[in-house]
Amino acid sequence: MLQNMIDSSMKKSPWIFHINAGSCNGCDIELVSVLTPRYDAERYGFKLCGSPRQADIVVVSGPVTMQSRERLRRTLAQVPEPFCVVSLGSCPRSGNVFKGSYAIDGPLEKYVHVDVSVAGCTPKPEAIIAGLAQAAQLLEEKRKEARK
Amino acid sequence: MILPYLGQSFKNLFSKPVTEAFPAGDPPKAAEGYRGRLHYDPELCINCGMCMRVCAPQAITREIVPLENGDQQITFTYDMTSCTFCRMCSDFCTKKAITLTDDYMIVGSAHEDFLVSGTFIKAAPPKPKFTPEQLEAMKKAAAAKKAAAAAAADGEKKPEEKAEAKGEE
Repeated sequence: MLQNMIDSSMKKSPWIFHINAGSCNGCDIELVSVLTPRYDAERYGFKLCGSPRQADIVVVSGPVTMQSRERLRRTLAQVPEPFCVVSLGSCPRSGNVFKGSYAIDGPLEKYVHVDVSVAGCTPKPEAIIAGLAQAAQLLEEKRKEARK
Repeated sequence: MILPYLGQSFKNLFSKPVTEAFPAGDPPKAAEGYRGRLHYDPELCINCGMCMRVCAPQAITREIVPLENGDQQITFTYDMTSCTFCRMCSDFCTKKAITLTDDYMIVGSAHEDFLVSGTFIKAAPPKPKFTPEQLEAMKKAAAAKKAAAAAAADGEKKPEEKAEAKGEE
């Protein structure tokens, strides 16, 4: 009974934590615009939280740079299971134009399994919302499986 | 003083909300000239490889499979997770085989969701009528014939020298 209540309320509030792994700030701005009145993802319960320990969905933007690599790994280790990883833009998935650079140690797939990717350089807010919705669905399935 | 604000608040009572109803409704159309998911038409492509050359993030790969009859099966694959949507490939495509559509919903989990590819068969150039060996033989035969004719026309004067000169030419 109590578990059911917790489940339904967790379903309606997937909290987002945003990691910038050396992004150019384009994707970061678009992610913030998703929470503004025009796109308003907060009506579906997506809330940007300040700590990885409270997060359900981790949004990563940027090719993983050498400087951010260790911090990314440390932050991802703090996120409680089960969680979803959403990669924002082309960079985390492939490195984009920075591919082959000595300062890049990507792709993100090397460090964590990426559940949903939103491609684009940068993606439109609508595409980000669609990606987050897909991640929220995946998260629900993951929770059900973890309970079994 | 408060009157204009009153007017605005009265207007807001009856106006639509600014929030887009997107996940509930249809996604709105992208702005004019938006560079979204790439569209590739293999029928127009001539395999010049210019798009691969100008692509900064190396998002384009080409696979050439030789067929039995000498034709080539050419597959171009455009990786949307690697693309930076600069439209250079489209600008440089002489045959306008590449266009960037206004489809911005490039969301998925598997890598295949992000690939745009097309295959076409490039026919082998027509084979020459004669092989190089045959052509060489024909040339020699023609030269010999000419030499023989010249020798016959000159008569008994200097047949050996004439034949040599012809051969040298």
